[in-house]
Amino acid sequence: MRRIVTLLAALVGIALASPASATLQIDVNQGNLQPMPIAITDFGGAPGQNVASVVRADLDRSGLFRPLDPKSFVDQIKGFNVPPNFANWRVINAQALVTGQETIQPDGRMKVAFRLWDVFGEQQMIAEEYTTTPESWRRVAHLIADAIYQRVTGEKGYFDTRIVFISESGPLLNRKKRLAIMDEDGFNPIYLTNGSYLVLTPRFNPTAQTIAYMSYIAGKPRVYVFDIDSGRQEMLGDFPNMTFSPRFSPDGNRVVMSLEQSGVSDIYSMDLRTRSTTRLTNDRAIDTSPSYSPDGRQITFESDRGGSQQIYVMNADGSNSLRISFGAGKNGTPVWSPRGDLIALTKQDAGAFRIGVMRPDGSGERIISDGWEDEGPTWAPNGRVLMFSRTLRGGHGSQIWSVDVTGRNEQRVATPGDASDPAWSPLIQ
Amino acid sequence: MSPSRSIIGNRISLASGAGDSRSPLGLVGAVLLHAAIIAATLFSFEHRLDIAQESPPVVPVDLVTIGAKTNITPTVRPQRRVAAEPVVQPKPEPHLAPEPIVPPKPQPLEFHAPKIAMEKSEPAPQQETPPQPASKPQPKKSSADNFQALLNKLSTSSSSQPANARIAQQTRKGFGAQDAMTMDLRDSLKNQIEQCWNPPAGAPHPEQLVVFVDLRLNPDGSVAGKPQLAAQSLTAVAGNPFIRAAADAAMRAIYVCAPYKLPAERFSDWRDSTVEFDPRDLAGQ
Repeated sequence: MRRIVTLLAALVGIALASPASATLQIDVNQGNLQPMPIAITDFGGAPGQNVASVVRADLDRSGLFRPLDPKSFVDQIKGFNVPPNFANWRVINAQALVTGQETIQPDGRMKVAFRLWDVFGEQQMIAEEYTTTPESWRRVAHLIADAIYQRVTGEKGYFDTRIVFISESGPLLNRKKRLAIMDEDGFNPIYLTNGSYLVLTPRFNPTAQTIAYMSYIAGKPRVYVFDIDSGRQEMLGDFPNMTFSPRFSPDGNRVVMSLEQSGVSDIYSMDLRTRSTTRLTNDRAIDTSPSYSPDGRQITFESDRGGSQQIYVMNADGSNSLRISFGAGKNGTPVWSPRGDLIALTKQDAGAFRIGVMRPDGSGERIISDGWEDEGPTWAPNGRVLMFSRTLRGGHGSQIWSVDVTGRNEQRVATPGDASDPAWSPLIQ
Repeated sequence: MSPSRSIIGNRISLASGAGDSRSPLGLVGAVLLHAAIIAATLFSFEHRLDIAQESPPVVPVDLVTIGAKTNITPTVRPQRRVAAEPVVQPKPEPHLAPEPIVPPKPQPLEFHAPKIAMEKSEPAPQQETPPQPASKPQPKKSSADNFQALLNKLSTSSSSQPANARIAQQTRKGFGAQDAMTMDLRDSLKNQIEQCWNPPAGAPHPEQLVVFVDLRLNPDGSVAGKPQLAAQSLTAVAGNPFIRAAADAAMRAIYVCAPYKLPAERFSDWRDSTVEFDPRDLAGQ
């Protein structure tokens, strides 16, 4: 009992005294947006050096990291399983450190392991290991870059993805347009079609490695679905008129597209399993460029039903359509972010085409690219980065560019020759 | 077509309605109100400038005037404090500030042990252990230890101001939240941390990414031990990779900008702080 009383007395005393040791309340609400300095050491073994350099290039390209030059490293990593001497990495201002090890297994397979260290907190942030065939070393590097990106930003990475695009070659009057695919960093480009027929607007299935696009096979413009792994191509439905602007639903089971009839176009959706179609819009205007919300419950599209080309949102069954873009100029090619928070668009105003984003209710519109003719945005699977086509002034070539959703880090994507109409794949399974 | 016409019609009728309601009385009232507002802003402006330019001379004046009032209550309370303080003095020195820092440190050493630790699951617990030791000792040990932990806080404050401790407590208490006295310190620390904070711009739902960090500094401005996430942030971090990343960014900002340049003679005022990292104003940048 006495103990309790003394304890209570002491607590009262502390309660009274506590204002003296009051803590400062500090509200930090302004920051200094800068890429995070990260040291990525070479992984053990000759192929490992390549892995580290691909990881460095991936993170550098994201604009959120600044990989330090290995020549600036003052510390030697003693071994993969020995904690590094953090002070030596703080000296060169590294905030994070990546160490790695690469070994060839007795069965000939390659094992790559890495650790990500918090240099100031002096602790390990993640460690992972991948086993694969030695030829897949680039994919392993992308997977490691994705893991680091995700741990540091909270966002899933996008380096282990591919881009389909329209590769353009030949003279302006006789342009050869071929469907091509490459890794997100521009490596391993492959042509999927031979250029004997025109291919436009490729779109990735968000759940599988299949593409929908519009093609002029035998002079008839129709929507096709193409399986990348098997190379099989299939026409979607047999409509009497032109079908175009296809896009998959988030679950990959449906395709929405436009069907043209006597100068106007409406939006239809097709169930890929039953091949049954549903008409979603029905008016005397041009309704096109449909794109599903990530939950599959709504569709955004462009329409000139109000007099000029603007962006609308409707329920997935076609009901309750609502105009969301009201600013200056025309707005088109809306694409719903896989994250759901934004809709990307092409804005045509004052003679220029630029990429913008707005919230699904039409608020918060921002222009995020600064080209002269930028169009056709496509989202990275994490909803954080966009790619788009850029036509150079005077029509002198077309390129693919990428930009962060914040409008920062605009940069050209490496492509073999001229390229347009990019479509970003989901993360490779 | 027709909707636009009706909108224009509405605007016209609204405008004419406003014109009808004008009267000389309203005008006089408006002028008076404006004058009052201008006068009010002038007053507050001068006051703020005084504080900003010469904060040290102004603050003591406030202390004296308000301290006179609050001295009434402390005269009753010292007895209770005396009861508390004798208990404090025996144990303050063994329990110096470094104590709470010790438990987290053994963990980094454990990195030696997992030689082929590749699974995500292995590093994860290691990383999340630092917060745990803080909570574990409490349930294990008796109330006496709780008591000692609480006393630590008290002891450190009393040791920093040995002679005048009691007087300082009383006067500060009367001064409320100590805003004016520590405003310059807060601004200074805030500005220094902001230089190093790489906020989570572009992340979804920035309103969920507000992180609170309890920070303790050494007299030389370096970080004492490991800054800890405040309780409310600790629970949020567990299930959300975005909040975890935001918390990491906050910790990095604190470490990268240290040591902090703050007036040494006022160490007791800036030794402990709770830093709120709020990225809401930076969303979409």
